[in-house]
Amino acid sequence: MKQFRLRYVASMVLAAVMVVTGCSSGGTETESGGGQSGGQQVTLSMHSWRVEDTEGYKAIIKAFEADNPNIKIDFKPFKATEYNTILNTALQSDSGPDILQLRPYAPGITLAEAGHLEPLDNVPGISTIPKDVLAAATGKDGKVYGVPLSLNSTQFYYNKKIFEQNGLQAPKSWDELIATAKTLKEKGIVPISFGAKEGWLLSLSHGVIAPASYNGTDYLDKLLKGESDLKSAEFLQSVQRMQALIPYFPENYVGLELNDMRTLFATEKAAMFINGSFELEGIKKLNPDLPLDFFPMPTDDGKQVLTTWVDGSYAVNAKSKHKAEALKFMEFMATKKFGELFANQFKRISAVPGVSTDDPLVNKMAELSQTSATPYLMVVNFAEGKPTTKQTLENALQGMYLGKLIPEQVVEEVQKSAATWFPPFKK
Amino acid sequence: MFPLPALVIYTLFVVYPIFSAFLYSLYDWNGIKRGVFVGLQNFITLFTVEPFNEMFWNAFRHNVFYFVVEMIVQNGIAFGLAFLIYRKIRGSGFLKIAYFMPRLLSVIVIGFLWKLILHPNYGALNTFLGKIGLEEWARPWLGDPDTALLAIILINCWFGIGFAMLIFLAGLQSIPEDLIEAARLDGATGWRMLWKMILPLCMPAITIMTIFTFIQAFEAFELVYAMQGSMGEPFYSTDTLAVYFYRMAFSSGAGDVTLGLGSALAVVLFFIVGSVSALSLYLMRKREVQH
Repeated sequence: MKQFRLRYVASMVLAAVMVVTGCSSGGTETESGGGQSGGQQVTLSMHSWRVEDTEGYKAIIKAFEADNPNIKIDFKPFKATEYNTILNTALQSDSGPDILQLRPYAPGITLAEAGHLEPLDNVPGISTIPKDVLAAATGKDGKVYGVPLSLNSTQFYYNKKIFEQNGLQAPKSWDELIATAKTLKEKGIVPISFGAKEGWLLSLSHGVIAPASYNGTDYLDKLLKGESDLKSAEFLQSVQRMQALIPYFPENYVGLELNDMRTLFATEKAAMFINGSFELEGIKKLNPDLPLDFFPMPTDDGKQVLTTWVDGSYAVNAKSKHKAEALKFMEFMATKKFGELFANQFKRISAVPGVSTDDPLVNKMAELSQTSATPYLMVVNFAEGKPTTKQTLENALQGMYLGKLIPEQVVEEVQKSAATWFPPFKK
Repeated sequence: MFPLPALVIYTLFVVYPIFSAFLYSLYDWNGIKRGVFVGLQNFITLFTVEPFNEMFWNAFRHNVFYFVVEMIVQNGIAFGLAFLIYRKIRGSGFLKIAYFMPRLLSVIVIGFLWKLILHPNYGALNTFLGKIGLEEWARPWLGDPDTALLAIILINCWFGIGFAMLIFLAGLQSIPEDLIEAARLDGATGWRMLWKMILPLCMPAITIMTIFTFIQAFEAFELVYAMQGSMGEPFYSTDTLAVYFYRMAFSSGAGDVTLGLGSALAVVLFFIVGSVSALSLYLMRKREVQH
């Protein structure tokens, strides 16, 4: 009996040990263990946080595999909220994928600084991508670590039919925007579908409204050099304008979430909706017949701007066993052929310039993103700090909508957060 | 030898993570990489540097409030219900099951259902208030910082009442009949009976429930996360220590992961829960009477 018990215990311990060691050995898949001479089949692993895009990626990968018969790509997406943790753990235990989707700006660049990514400056075609787009994956050493995939833009969507019925046109200035909203309210239509319950939508909406006060890039240049700060008149005005829109929000807007906002707009109860290019599909799915259009933000100096930023990039693991093949895929991602496949597949704005799709709204966004883009400041430049300056703004705006803070206090909080880490403010 | 397999698993999945959290809390974390050893610096930062200290005390106050409301509402009502069922009122078998039903639902489902009920514009609660002429009472319950936390705690009470009731019922049923009989012969009735006889004899169940409630209140996470997200929205008004910990240690997508501070907070939380539980167990055990 005693012997039996001992054997049982021993096998349990052994099993536990096997589980533990098994965890650390998975990793990149190689078709053949031997040499890697040309002509051999190579399978690259590719990780992404876009589970919903799996089918689209398969189609794109098929096109690549047709041109490169000896490379196979195994696309494996993870849940977006768990992706970072999974990727970080894999990279640290040297079992990361060959190709990985990279978060834009600071969070993604952290991986490059930890030495996990291969520089891509020499990949053919990468120089055709504009520098401010590449900035999303450029390290502090000036090297490019990722091929940007797509641009996001944020704008005012509006219902063409409601606008026409009330004799309204897309506003050309801030005052016109307020006048438009006022007319709609008098007619009993919710002017702007808006909710303050989800913080990220507050900084997103601020990202659309604020550039009207910046007037071009002068203020941004000064801000990023540390010659101005976030308590400046321009930034304060942007927050005051967020407050000035309150009368035109739906009832009980402080308790509304994205779903509620989208529904109000798609069911034609609200005339305008501030959101991103990534919402296009969601709105159309809810109501395919919605007479949908958008207008870029009119600035105070009479121009129009579209707030854009890079959504994500693809990078190569510095420890990949098949770097040459992975770089070939990077080269493919920088071509117009890929851009067109991608843009049509997902109805998104490709990061490769000059790509057009069969969706007129996406084309309009893509065009504006090349002619009159302005950065989404909080994502591009202020997504650092603990908590991030972006989160601080979201939280302070929420406080403002709840009547706990005034705009002056909001900018004070935001500046205080940025001052803890933003190098030009620390001088 | 026999407990060894369990011990191995326990060590691997419980003792080792706790130990590693202790260790992690003593290091600086540079993004996802462990940096240099910094001693107690993370703890000092947690308690002295804005906004970490503000967030800590804000969340701490919410946890205390959570505990107080749960003690009064959840355990108070649960004891009353247990007493009614103990007295074998009509339909007590059915009621016992009915009160326990919410406990069978997943927390995520509960969060989703109550979000629908409390929806500001077409939720059942505000619609009901409108129907009975109390429109001015209607409000965005979960969007208003004055009501959001209380709403979540009360939902948690609704969820936990069945379990607390069963514990109290077991306590009541373990009181020997002859003791009650003897007290009744001595002339004890009504409140006197409840106060002087039944409550003291129920003390073991009350002790256990108090400690359970305390641990639950200080680890409150799921419902807040399911209903208000990892930022404890709106305006940090539903933040708790566990949500704050989650935000610091794992918050995804943003560049704000700070595992060292997160581990320090986990260690602090561990000591709060551990020491208060042990202390209250010791104090309340002294009040229990033997029979």
